[in-house]
Amino acid sequence: MGFDDETTDVLIGGYLSTDAAHEDYEAVLGCGARLWGAVVVSRDLEGNVSVEQTDHMVEEGSAGLAAVGFAVGLFSPPLLAATAIGAAVGAVGGKALHRRTGSKIEEMAGETIPIGGAGLIVAYKHADARTVEPAVARAVKQVVGEAEGHHVKALKDALAEAQQKMAEADG
Amino acid sequence: MSEPDRTSLPIRREPFAGVANRTLAGSEPDWNLIGHPTPPEGAPNVLLVLIDDAGFGNPSTFGGPIQTPNYTRMAAGGLRYNRMHVTALCSPTRAALLTGRNNHAVGFGSVGEFAGGFPGYSATLPRDCTPLPRILRENGYSTAAFGKWHLTPDGQQGPAGPFDRWPNGWGFDYFYGILGGGSSQWDPCLAENQKIIGTPEEFYDEEHPYYFPDAMADRTIEWLHGVRAQDAHKPFFVYYSTGCSHAPHHVGKDWADKYKGQFDQGWDQLREQTFARQQELGVIPANAELTARDEAFPAWDDVPDKLKPFYARQMEVYAGYSENADHNVGRVIGAIEELGELDNTLILWIWGDNGASMEGTTTGSFNELTMQNGIPLTDEMQLQLTERYGGLEAWSSALMAPHYGAAWAWAGNTPFKWGKQVGSHLGGTRNPMVVHWPDHVTDAGELRTPFAHVIDIAPTILDAARIPAPQTVDGIEQEPMHGTSFVASLADGKAPEHRTQQYFETIGNRAMYKDGWWLAMKTERIPWLLTPDALAPYAPGVWDPDADPVELYYLPDDFTQAKDLAAENPERVQELKDLFWQEAERYKVLPLLATLSTFFGMLPPLPDETTFEFRGDVQNVMPGMIPRIYNRSYAITADLVVPEGGAEGVIVAEADHLGGFTLYVKDGKLTHTYSMMGVFVFQQVAEEDLPTGDVTVRMAFEADGAKPATGGEVTLFIDGRPVGKGRMDHTVPVRFSGYSGMDIGRDNGGVVDRSYESQKPYPFTGTVKKVVFDIKPHLSDEDELTVHTAEQHGQAAHSLSA
Repeated sequence: MGFDDETTDVLIGGYLSTDAAHEDYEAVLGCGARLWGAVVVSRDLEGNVSVEQTDHMVEEGSAGLAAVGFAVGLFSPPLLAATAIGAAVGAVGGKALHRRTGSKIEEMAGETIPIGGAGLIVAYKHADARTVEPAVARAVKQVVGEAEGHHVKALKDALAEAQQKMAEADG
Repeated sequence: MSEPDRTSLPIRREPFAGVANRTLAGSEPDWNLIGHPTPPEGAPNVLLVLIDDAGFGNPSTFGGPIQTPNYTRMAAGGLRYNRMHVTALCSPTRAALLTGRNNHAVGFGSVGEFAGGFPGYSATLPRDCTPLPRILRENGYSTAAFGKWHLTPDGQQGPAGPFDRWPNGWGFDYFYGILGGGSSQWDPCLAENQKIIGTPEEFYDEEHPYYFPDAMADRTIEWLHGVRAQDAHKPFFVYYSTGCSHAPHHVGKDWADKYKGQFDQGWDQLREQTFARQQELGVIPANAELTARDEAFPAWDDVPDKLKPFYARQMEVYAGYSENADHNVGRVIGAIEELGELDNTLILWIWGDNGASMEGTTTGSFNELTMQNGIPLTDEMQLQLTERYGGLEAWSSALMAPHYGAAWAWAGNTPFKWGKQVGSHLGGTRNPMVVHWPDHVTDAGELRTPFAHVIDIAPTILDAARIPAPQTVDGIEQEPMHGTSFVASLADGKAPEHRTQQYFETIGNRAMYKDGWWLAMKTERIPWLLTPDALAPYAPGVWDPDADPVELYYLPDDFTQAKDLAAENPERVQELKDLFWQEAERYKVLPLLATLSTFFGMLPPLPDETTFEFRGDVQNVMPGMIPRIYNRSYAITADLVVPEGGAEGVIVAEADHLGGFTLYVKDGKLTHTYSMMGVFVFQQVAEEDLPTGDVTVRMAFEADGAKPATGGEVTLFIDGRPVGKGRMDHTVPVRFSGYSGMDIGRDNGGVVDRSYESQKPYPFTGTVKKVVFDIKPHLSDEDELTVHTAEQHGQAAHSLSA
């Protein structure tokens, strides 16, 4: 079944440590499901951003995660009961991103990933949700968006929904 | 010289007994004039040791899992006391210990940080309750205190004093330690006598880093040697009050690693193992019953397997930290022994001042201040933040300020229920004590069981020295001590009980003991919860203390408080309730819950000052004394002189990367970094270089509103021009740090922004002429009151955990 015929899910996970994000990233890559792509972005205590990604769609010669402008937002726990974090999810879009332009991701992520934090975005077939989602075991905040249609549009729409959910969850 | 009148202090000098003529012809000197008071013949040296935030079931000497060979050695040559009682909170126990009076009666119903408006909660020692060190000093002792103090109100810890609230003012000739309730053990902000001396230089020595517990022992030994070098006979009184085992749990990794794997079985089994050892040692009766786990504590079996190593490491570190305390006390004892004075040194060593602390909540925390600032974090979040700062192996390092989970504290209080803050139950009120005095103890290695309380310590020491409690001091008639000497028990295991009655009260949790009966009246609030819902039942007009559930225990038959007899003994319950109210009135306990009074609208007057100027290189401003920038808009303005070629370094910084702010210049750019308790770190950088010459820089925070933890917008200015901006989604609502100070022109101790860690303390290479905080650029009067209320609530919340 091709990309166009499937419902696409996009999962966003937020982390307070890079170790936890990478654990989930590796777990997702090894979960056995076919992914459209995954990216983990982290920012160390000195503010340096690092990006690790796999983009299966790029490998197949079609537009993948990069094409829909994956940027990782702020993933934070709620604070002080009545207070919550103002999410900065979804601030970036429309730029073509893939491995060659990792520095662009870093630049944008630097604005949205908190110092010491990390984020994970994974895109996959909705049918594989039961395989992928349990692999994301350590996210302190986790949302999933889904959409149907042509693959680029589906990815964009699913990402947008996930980002919206993240913003609502935070705010 | 005749025996002086010691009931009126200072001891009056004998009148001149010589002859003073117009010239030396015929004149006769009186050499007694240059003498000084001496204690009664045979008065012993005294070493009073108090361990912090520890429980009855912690030290191996009392069956616990923490190896305490020096404590055991002292017990073998002395006596174990298994019914010593404390007040369930830090400062109150210390106040009672050093005055011989009930803690409320001397103004310490709560901790030193909280100076309330009722006599029992003023954190201010009445002048008619002269403390033990002053009495001993006036009677010819050399007196010194090392370590944790925690009896000076928060706003009085600077060069303006007043110093009658500092250790010297309580009668110690010398003090080296921390004024607050807890401290980093790696980079404490130290006080020496009447000055805050800040972070020791050795902190910057990576090869031989500073460690407060080691330094405490070093300084004590050095002081003892100095006293003996001057006077071979003058007795000493050393109050050795460890920062251990209070959070942050800081210790060298090698100490923690000694316990690797020893707590993998979890807290439920640890309690059973400790209980079995306690029975085997005989420090609890054979018929004692292990009390059950309250549902406030999770079962170990319910902890997810992936998190068990996280929890186990918390206890490994606590154990190593505590063993190190034993080691360092052992060094001090060794020094006394080397002086040949151990036999005539009365050592009183109490292992804990309030039971082990449950303030880590159920999860424990990489940063104890996250709880005090009301930041709810799950155990997974705590683990991730731990990973952020170096992982489990760094749990005891300066990168974190850790506190273990509440269930470990509960296990440390085996065999009792509850712990710190819970004055109604033995988990918070009963701690081990060892007494060592070879000249007088006749049954070395034995157990003593009188019902004792820390108010009995001062009378016991005075009794041992044969010094009377004074009737007047400085002309002021003295309140008699409430404690009673237990010296008789040192030589006589059958000595009659010296204490048959005692009240207890901590944050509304209260108890009344009389003739073996113990009435427990615990509020239903879980000790670590201060949410509006948790507090609502205690509001004025809502709470009826007499309607609280009660438990009644007969301790001679029930050492652990396992069998509640309240239902069968309503008359006894009523008798003890009535007696509690009498005692509460007598000792200034009332109004109940005054510790929480600010939560119910009883606020101290709103301070007038809204601008604060710091000139020159003011350093080590204690955390309770920094400008009130929490929960509001504020601005920091600095007048600088930047030399040709530029400058770099810190203009002003408060605390460290686990909570604090810094305004600094790096690579020519003005930068502001704000750490929201190490959970979030916000940074704004100017878009243009700092010019040379006279320059004014400003950081302005415009809050979203006057509310706790408000977010807001930051703008950076150079000479009035905006040069950078950014948002801080959350700010610190209560306080950045419990111990780390604010500095102008540098960032002492642990740094706020890790990017200049390698250059710490990163002093400014230009000149900081002055730094001004303006804390009222946007507030209305109504907002000001809102913020003041929030600050006071935060202060009270912080106090309860200090």
